[in-house]
Amino acid sequence: MNISSDPWIWISALMSLAIFSFLYRDNPFYRFAEHIFVGVANGWAVTFYWHNVLSPSLFDPLFRQGQVYYILPFVVGMLYFTRFIPRVSWLVRIPIGLYMGYYIGVSIPSTLQAYIIKQVQGTILTSQNFQTWNAGSMGVVWSVILLIGVMCTLAYFFFSREHKGALGIASRIGIIFVMVGFGAAFGYTVMARISLLIGRLQFLLGPWLGVIE
Amino acid sequence: MKIIETLTNIDRRIIYLILLIVVLLPLLFPSVEKVRVMAPVEKLYYAIDTIPSEKAVIVDFDYEPQTAPELDPMGFAILRHVFERRIKLLVLSLYVQPLGLAQNALTQVTEEFNSVAKTNADSIIYGRDYVFLGWVPPPIIPILGMAESITSVYTVDYYGNQTDTLPLMQEVTNYNDVGLLVSLSGSDIPKWWVAYAQSRFGLPVGAGITAVSASEFYPYLQTGQFSGLLVGMKGGAEYEEMVERTLKIKVRRKASEALLSLTYAHLVMILFIVIGNIGYFAKRRKK
Repeated sequence: MNISSDPWIWISALMSLAIFSFLYRDNPFYRFAEHIFVGVANGWAVTFYWHNVLSPSLFDPLFRQGQVYYILPFVVGMLYFTRFIPRVSWLVRIPIGLYMGYYIGVSIPSTLQAYIIKQVQGTILTSQNFQTWNAGSMGVVWSVILLIGVMCTLAYFFFSREHKGALGIASRIGIIFVMVGFGAAFGYTVMARISLLIGRLQFLLGPWLGVIE
Repeated sequence: MKIIETLTNIDRRIIYLILLIVVLLPLLFPSVEKVRVMAPVEKLYYAIDTIPSEKAVIVDFDYEPQTAPELDPMGFAILRHVFERRIKLLVLSLYVQPLGLAQNALTQVTEEFNSVAKTNADSIIYGRDYVFLGWVPPPIIPILGMAESITSVYTVDYYGNQTDTLPLMQEVTNYNDVGLLVSLSGSDIPKWWVAYAQSRFGLPVGAGITAVSASEFYPYLQTGQFSGLLVGMKGGAEYEEMVERTLKIKVRRKASEALLSLTYAHLVMILFIVIGNIGYFAKRRKK
C-alpha cells in the first residue's frame, strides 16, 4: 500500500467519496461537494471562454488591432442582452434568427442524407446489405428481421387509423421490437453505469491508496 | 412467502453494498482474461491498420471526465496502434472539456514509445508524427472547414505553434489527405461527423462510444456509415486485446482488467431483477 502524498489526488478522492455518500442518504458532505463542483465548473467555463473565445476572436481584433468590421458580430451578439430590457426585447430575434437560419440551412441536406436516406437504404433487402452483418448466409435472415422490425415499429406509431386487422397485427409485432430495443438500451445503461463506478474505484485503489498499480 | 416478502423489500443500501463488493474484489486482484473480439471492433482496427501511408488519421477526443472510464481505454489503445504503425496522426476536440484528457493520453502514450526508442526515427516526435490541433468553436466550423484547409481552421495548435510551420501539416492539408476519422464521444458527435463530413465530403468515420448510447449508434454501423464501432468498456477491452495480439504491445490493460467486475456486477443485477419479478408475481397471485 502506497498512499498518495499529492494533495490534488486527495482532494479528488475525498470529493468522490463525498458524492458517493449520497447513496447512503443526503448529507452535508454530499451537498458541499455538489456546490463546489457547480461553482468550479462555472468559474472555469467563464474564464476559459473569455481567454479562448471572446478575447482572441472578438475583443482583441476589435479593440486592440482595430479591425473595425468586427463591430458587426459584436453588435449582433450584444443584441442577446436586449432580453433584459422589455421595451427593446424584440431585438433578440435578430441574433436568434441568424443563428437558426444558418444552422437549419447547414443541417437539412446533411441530416436528411445521413439520418434518413442512408438508413432507408440500409433497410432495403439487397445483397450488399446482407453482407454488412458479417454473418454469411444468415445475413439474409437478419436483413429480413430488420425490415420487419422497421415496418412494424412504424405501424405501431401510425395513429391515423385504429389499430385493427393487418395494422393491428403489425403494431403488436412492432411493440415487441420496441420492447426489445428498450431492453437492450437498459442493459447497455447498466453496463455504462457500472463502468463509471469501476473507473472511480480504479482511481481510488490506484493513484490514491496505491493498493493496485 | 416470508422469504419473498423479505427479498422484495431489501434496503437499496444493501444492494449498493453488494454491488460495491462484487465490483471491488476483482479490482483488488486484477487479472486479464482472454477477450473475444467482436466484428465491429475488428472492423475499426483493420480500418486504421490499412490506412495508406500517405494518409493521416484524425482522432477526435470528445469525452469528458464522467465518461472517461469507458472511453479512455479506447483512446489509449488507438493511439498505441497508430504510433506503432507510424500512421500520421491529428488529434482534436470539438469541445473544451476533453482537451485535458486528450493531452493526458498523448503525453502518456508518446512517453511509452519514446522511453524505448533508440533512434530519432524510432521516436514519436511532435510536428513530425502527430499534431494536437486543439479546439476551435463552434463544432460545425472545424467539421466543414477542414474539408478545404486544416491549417486555415486551426491556425495555431493546442500548444500555440503556427500549424502551417509544422512538417506534418505540409503533408496533411484537408480531408483528401485523411484516411479515417475516429470520434471518441459520450454524446452525438460521431453522428455529426457522419452528417457533415461524410455525407458532404466522403470522409470515412469510425466511432468509440459509451455503452448507454450503443443502441442509437448500431444502425450507422449496419449501413456502413461507420467503418467500425467500439462500445463502452467492453469495446475498449476488445481493442486492447487486438493491439496486444497483433502488435505485441504489452502494457497495462485497464478496460480488460475491469471485465470481471463488469461481469459479476451484471450477474448481481440479473439476480436482483429475477428476485424482484418473482416477488411481484408472487404478490399478485396472493391478491
